[in-house]
Amino acid sequence: MDMSGSYRIGAPRQAVWTALNDAEVLKLCIPGCEEIEQTSPTTMTARVVQKIGPVKARFNGAIELLNVNAPQSYTIKGEGQGGVAGFAKGAADVTLSEDGGETVLEFEARAQVGGKLARIGSRLIDAAAKKVARQFFDNFHDHLNGKDPPGD
Amino acid sequence: MYPTKYHKAASIDDAVAALGAGEEALVLAGGQTLLATMKQHLASPSDLVDIRAIDGMSGVSTDGDMLVIGAATTHAEVAGSADVQRLCPALAGLARGIGDPAVRHVGTIGGSIANNDPAADYPAGLLALGATVVTSKRQIGADDFFQGLFTTALDDDEVITSVRIPAASRAGYAKFRQPASLFALVGVFAAQGAGGTRVAVTGAGEDGVFRHVGLEAALGADWSAAAAGGVGVASEGLLADIHASAEYRANLIGVMAKRAVEAS
Repeated sequence: MDMSGSYRIGAPRQAVWTALNDAEVLKLCIPGCEEIEQTSPTTMTARVVQKIGPVKARFNGAIELLNVNAPQSYTIKGEGQGGVAGFAKGAADVTLSEDGGETVLEFEARAQVGGKLARIGSRLIDAAAKKVARQFFDNFHDHLNGKDPPGD
Repeated sequence: MYPTKYHKAASIDDAVAALGAGEEALVLAGGQTLLATMKQHLASPSDLVDIRAIDGMSGVSTDGDMLVIGAATTHAEVAGSADVQRLCPALAGLARGIGDPAVRHVGTIGGSIANNDPAADYPAGLLALGATVVTSKRQIGADDFFQGLFTTALDDDEVITSVRIPAASRAGYAKFRQPASLFALVGVFAAQGAGGTRVAVTGAGEDGVFRHVGLEAALGADWSAAAAGGVGVASEGLLADIHASAEYRANLIGVMAKRAVEAS
């Protein structure tokens, strides 16, 4: 499934770019992220818990930054195994443009789930994926505007 | 396999304590969603706290013109209750149309609203009727209780004890079923009462049950199928999946709104 969106962030582009490349910031903003570890400048490993209604799955996965064009754009790609639940993977093309001291963040994301999750949850996967993406960018926006997301 | 500890709570305090003590404890009511999910290993709670045996948790009573339905009351009990049929026949009809007979005889009103599945029937009924959810620690109005896809105002250690539903002067519910899952592809509950005219839509919103302002305004001015049919329903923010596009759901909202008014 595909989704896209645009956010205006009250911070200069360089600051937004730095945050987008900071594992600690990503940990704060990725919904359900329990742990994240930088393994190279462009790769990280992460543990993420996703809860969609009664379904709760813990994904161990890798995050990779591709097509890096500092401080304008990159592609952030994640892929995780959720044990018996199946797998989830997704990627987002993120572009930052300057607009009078503020930054406009635009993203186009694609997400895919497989295994049992997809079979059982097909009724809801799209809505859930959109919600997770929206939460991430809401959290990111709040973080840069000085409001940190709740711990969960 | 994974171990799960089963607690049969004797009281609400007992249930709250067990929920707080478990590493990942969940309330078990009818289990029509939770147990099916556990069987698939898509949920593995450390503890299940069964609240069905707690005194006063199930059954329907009245408080003046207010229906008081215990959280562990099954859909079949709500459908068959003389009080519900008298004070709010549309709600009895809603309960009679949930899932299949097996679900209706085990599934509970509290379980349905705590889960807040975006295609469940009860959230639409409670939101349109302006119900109040009573929990182990407070009372929450339906407008504040339902907070989006599978999300409610409930804390992890909070237990729903009952639902209080004011009688409406006019109310109707109509849904278009997804024939395989029996969930609502779109369901519309329209009600008019002391709280004004309220129209709630389930099955269609990307973020779960919602009130439709346009339908409320039209039906508030003229409670008729024609008035409902004259409202343009936008497809923005509606679910799209292999069963129906957002545009198809938008159209169904209009059609179900008309039928809900005709049924009232």
